[in-house]
Amino acid sequence: MAKGWWFRFTLLAALLIGSLMAITPTFLNLKSDSAFPMKTKINLGLDLQGGLYMVLGIDFNKVYRDEVIGYARKASATLKDVGIESTLGTLDASDVRDPKHSIILAKESDRDAAVAKLREFYQYPLRITKEEGTTLQYGLGREFVKEIETTALSKSIEVIRNRIDEFGVTEPEIVSQGEDRIVVQLPGVKDITRAKDLIGRTAKLEFKFVNDEVSPTALTEWLDKVKKAGIEYKKGERFSDYVRAINTHLVNDLPKGYEITFAKTVSKNTNEITNLEPYLVEAGTALTGEELQEAIVRIDQQQNRPYVGLEFKPNGAKIFEQITGANIGKRLAIVLDGNVYSAPVVQGRIAGGSAQITLGAGDYNATMSEARDLALVLRAGALPVELVFEEQRVVGPSLGADAIDKAQAAALAGSFLVLVFMCIYYKLSGVIATITILLNVLFTLSCLILVGATLSLPGIAGIALTVGMAVDGNILIYERIREELKIGMTPYEAVRTGFEKAFWAIADANITTALAGICLLNFGTGPVRGFAVTLLIGICTTVYTSYFVSKVLFEMYVGKGDRKTLSI
Amino acid sequence: MSTTRNVDYVGMFKIAGVLSMLLIVGTIVLYFTKGINYGVDFRGGVEVQVKFNQSVGLGELRSLMEENKVPMSQLQSIGDEKQNEFLLKLETDKGGDLNAVSNQVSEVLTSKYGAGKFEILKNDIVGPKAGAELRTSAFKALFWAILAIMIYLALRFDYKFAPGAIAALLHDVTIIVGAFILTQKEFSLQIVAALLAIIGYSVNDTVVIYDRVREIEQTHPTLSTVEIINRALNETMSRTIITSATVFGVSIVMLFMGGSVIHDFFFAMTIGVILGVYSTIFIAIPMTAFYEKFVNKKAV
Repeated sequence: MAKGWWFRFTLLAALLIGSLMAITPTFLNLKSDSAFPMKTKINLGLDLQGGLYMVLGIDFNKVYRDEVIGYARKASATLKDVGIESTLGTLDASDVRDPKHSIILAKESDRDAAVAKLREFYQYPLRITKEEGTTLQYGLGREFVKEIETTALSKSIEVIRNRIDEFGVTEPEIVSQGEDRIVVQLPGVKDITRAKDLIGRTAKLEFKFVNDEVSPTALTEWLDKVKKAGIEYKKGERFSDYVRAINTHLVNDLPKGYEITFAKTVSKNTNEITNLEPYLVEAGTALTGEELQEAIVRIDQQQNRPYVGLEFKPNGAKIFEQITGANIGKRLAIVLDGNVYSAPVVQGRIAGGSAQITLGAGDYNATMSEARDLALVLRAGALPVELVFEEQRVVGPSLGADAIDKAQAAALAGSFLVLVFMCIYYKLSGVIATITILLNVLFTLSCLILVGATLSLPGIAGIALTVGMAVDGNILIYERIREELKIGMTPYEAVRTGFEKAFWAIADANITTALAGICLLNFGTGPVRGFAVTLLIGICTTVYTSYFVSKVLFEMYVGKGDRKTLSI
Repeated sequence: MSTTRNVDYVGMFKIAGVLSMLLIVGTIVLYFTKGINYGVDFRGGVEVQVKFNQSVGLGELRSLMEENKVPMSQLQSIGDEKQNEFLLKLETDKGGDLNAVSNQVSEVLTSKYGAGKFEILKNDIVGPKAGAELRTSAFKALFWAILAIMIYLALRFDYKFAPGAIAALLHDVTIIVGAFILTQKEFSLQIVAALLAIIGYSVNDTVVIYDRVREIEQTHPTLSTVEIINRALNETMSRTIITSATVFGVSIVMLFMGGSVIHDFFFAMTIGVILGVYSTIFIAIPMTAFYEKFVNKKAV
């Protein structure tokens, strides 16, 4: 035996035992409570087991807008503390990526003091963009914008995870991609529409007072004006975009600090809007869903209709009590995702911190499931941003099953053909090649299981390719050995030289393929990455099995050089 | 392969060159006349694959979608029409809600055939932004892969080997794209993966022979470049044939038995394996000889 043979053989045996253990749970389909020490099964891609894959983009523009509006109130309050009177100005959203808002000072002479105060208090979040007459205009600070973005991304992931956990999916995967994307993978999900609705819903709950000083006729006139300007809701567009367009168009007509929003009734069957009732509500908000402690489905005993009961956190309860006390007689709109659910008149100060969302009429079961999902998203928290479905892939479970059956059968047939050919063409040496190739597949699968990579269809293709590469590795060595035998070397020498000379050809070939694999891994997305991962793992196992393992087996075969012929 | 033949491969470079040029020019013409049939990955839009439990005709489905104003751009049956399996491609005008359109399809089908009478096998929605990005990332992956391979070849071997290898790669990729245009098969992300795998294979072939060229150069320094190259090609020919035949065998089994999902991937692979061998033997390696001749002439 060659030097170090026993060491290399022991290593091989150890790897073999390890791999066999790694794939046992998958092949015997062991339950997680079995006594076997390894538990992890192979992770099948969505294309193989069915499910939902989606890429959600974050619409930051709305976040910028909300933040910039929110700061108007705060800034105005800060100025009041030092005796500078001011009113809220207007929003300038002409640059959606950098919206600006203004504050109108009561006296022009206060301007310098006001600027100084704002700089002192809000140097980080705001930057003053204009000082003119009594007008102070500001936008968001550059650093602050970055912070908003990273917070929004991580918060969104957290919220989506909470919702999915309540929804109940085994092994969901929710990760960020770049700075403004979230990838959600839900294997085995059946009710795709409901899952999508639960994830995509912003669930932003706001309590806003209605401006009842403006007459309904004035509201109608404004909406007519908007219609004349050609702003209309078209099916297939986002409703929030339409509402935004209306408010931008009417910016000089509406009372400062107020905006138009709607109570929207949607037909359950056709998904079409059947009724739109306009409301003029505060642009900012006194209280949001952030202050919610609990959201539970309750049933109104008199009307036998489900509703969502809300409980505020202590701080929220205090704010609720305070604002209801200060606005008795006004209507308080409960706005969810820009849609007014109800707007009851505040009869008196409400202590105790509870409120409710009543749902539209309709059949009991439909209302019940709506109430359940609504309570779920409110409990899991609102998304800090609006999400846009950028990419979505749904694979039905039967396509997955069919695909895996066919691909498996074909891969087996293909491999069988190759192995039979090898055994016929290279005789006993072909048997060695067959062993190394089977080991290669075994090692690739167990590596996939151990690193927790996902095996998808392109992944199976990747394995098929590495089998091809492994065969090539063997062929390179064998052809070389044949050449050396032909020029008269002894089997022992021929094997040694054959392996030596074939090494760099095998290494170079695999390294170049690996380079392509790394590029795929870096630039590819989703399924292509799956291919790249199997390819890269496969290349490592190929080099090991078709070179090093072959060598161990060949050294065993030729022994110490006393063999006269070689079956090759 | 008991005796090593002595074929003048370098001498065939001119014929091969003309043949390859014809194929490449053909691809370019096809590109401008027929165009690539981009899949939903790159084009953006909606793709719905649906299978019915009952017999539904292509025409019936088409008129149903038209009646309900579903913005369908393409409808095809998958496999045999008797399988009642169809692929619908939908597109909206700019800014349209793809999600709503996709829901519309299942609503229309449910109201016509009833729930449970059909199954949505696959539903892909790719927004225009995602589509554009997927396209760029795929292009980048191809570009960097070729660049990385070129740098590796230049460092590991000799700069004289790189142009031939790269020409062969571009040649393979172009002609496979041509095959996709000709058959109007869908060009998707999977096909990019296939192209990269083919690049890997093609380089694999080339590198093995370069390796041999270098070895002969060292052991027989007196031989001319053309002689060295011919000798290397002849010596490695049995390996080239056996390897390609086995990979081709696997590929063709996967193509015919592997099912619809991986069919196009292995369509590309099967063509790629043939092209890879051809370009290695008749383009990449002989080109090294011509490149050297060109440089030597310049040096004199």
